[in-house]
Amino acid sequence: MYKKKTSIVGIIITIVILIILVFISNMNVENLSYIENAVSTIVMPIQNGLTYLKNKITGNDTFFTDISKLQEENEELKRKNSELETTLRELEIIKAENTTLKEYLNLSETYANYKTKPAYIISKDISNYSKVFIINLGSKDGIEKDMTVISEKGLVGHIIQTTDHTSKVQTIIDTSSTVSATMTSSRDNIILKGTLEEGTLKASYIKPSANLIQGDTIETSRNGWDISKRHKDRNY
Amino acid sequence: MKNTLIIITTIFIFLILYFLQVNFFNWFTIAGISPNLFVILVLFLGLFAGKRVGVPMGIFLGILLDLFASKKIGISAIMLGIVGIIAGVLDKNFSKDSRMTIILMTILSTAIYEVGGYILNYIIVSTNIEILLFIKILLIESIYNAILTVILYPLLQKAGYYIEEAFRGKQILTRYY
Repeated sequence: MYKKKTSIVGIIITIVILIILVFISNMNVENLSYIENAVSTIVMPIQNGLTYLKNKITGNDTFFTDISKLQEENEELKRKNSELETTLRELEIIKAENTTLKEYLNLSETYANYKTKPAYIISKDISNYSKVFIINLGSKDGIEKDMTVISEKGLVGHIIQTTDHTSKVQTIIDTSSTVSATMTSSRDNIILKGTLEEGTLKASYIKPSANLIQGDTIETSRNGWDISKRHKDRNY
Repeated sequence: MKNTLIIITTIFIFLILYFLQVNFFNWFTIAGISPNLFVILVLFLGLFAGKRVGVPMGIFLGILLDLFASKKIGISAIMLGIVGIIAGVLDKNFSKDSRMTIILMTILSTAIYEVGGYILNYIIVSTNIEILLFIKILLIESIYNAILTVILYPLLQKAGYYIEEAFRGKQILTRYY
């Protein structure tokens, strides 16, 4: 009889608990937030402390592993940096070479009918009123006295002396040089002489009837030691 | 032996000056005008070592200069030889201890070198004559040389007395005692 009573009470308690659980599960969560708050107020500081401690411990651990990683990365980056710097330097050299080659190409295109040899200026006369310079090509490179020196912008001068590997060039702006020339628009012939003024030429023997236009270009004619005639004469 | 060493050193200094003149002073100019270091070198050689060293050294260094980059060989040689002679004359008549006389000597030597060189260029290679521009160049170059002499004077004087002792030691004794 007692056993029968106990089992009925147990069933009733179970049903009540189930009913309470159904109620709770159907309640709004907000209504339970004060409980959640109370719980978190008690638990979270402890949890925070524990997390802090845990992070510290694991953090210290990664600190050492990070240092070695960073060192490796640093080495790698340094190596890459030096590689990039080398590449950059190479590119700079290539860029400079490219510019020079483009100039040579322009030169060759401008004077397509002539055989040209690119050269560098390596020295110049020390005198303040002489415009003579030395180039890095000489008789062994096929350079001869009286050959014409040109740049992509026009006539520069002519060779006055050669050694095996260098040549002296007297420019048209040298005070002792004289070149015959033609004014492009009027086709009047003139004589150009070098002056002491930096980079200028003096025109003389201008006909009184000649038309002078400011900004007009001057061409070296086929009379003096100009490109065309010398080219035909010497066939270089 | 000492004299030979001094001459070899002078040639070595000449080469250094040449590279300085062509590279550094080609860029470091006053109104586009560069100084003439070789006139200063030969002038000091002539002043301290005497005419007998100044003239041949001037001619020799001038020939080297002409060989390096001039239109005709001989113009610089003649003019630097003349600078050597002038140095000898100035040494006999003026004191080398005064900075002012040294400056004036430098200006005079530069002027004679440039004027003579210009005339020789006119005769030999038919240079166009432009008096005003030439005077402007000459003035700036002479002043530039004088400034350099003032700056280098203590060093030049020390080296100069050393050269003087080596080349003219006996002559100085006979002159003063």
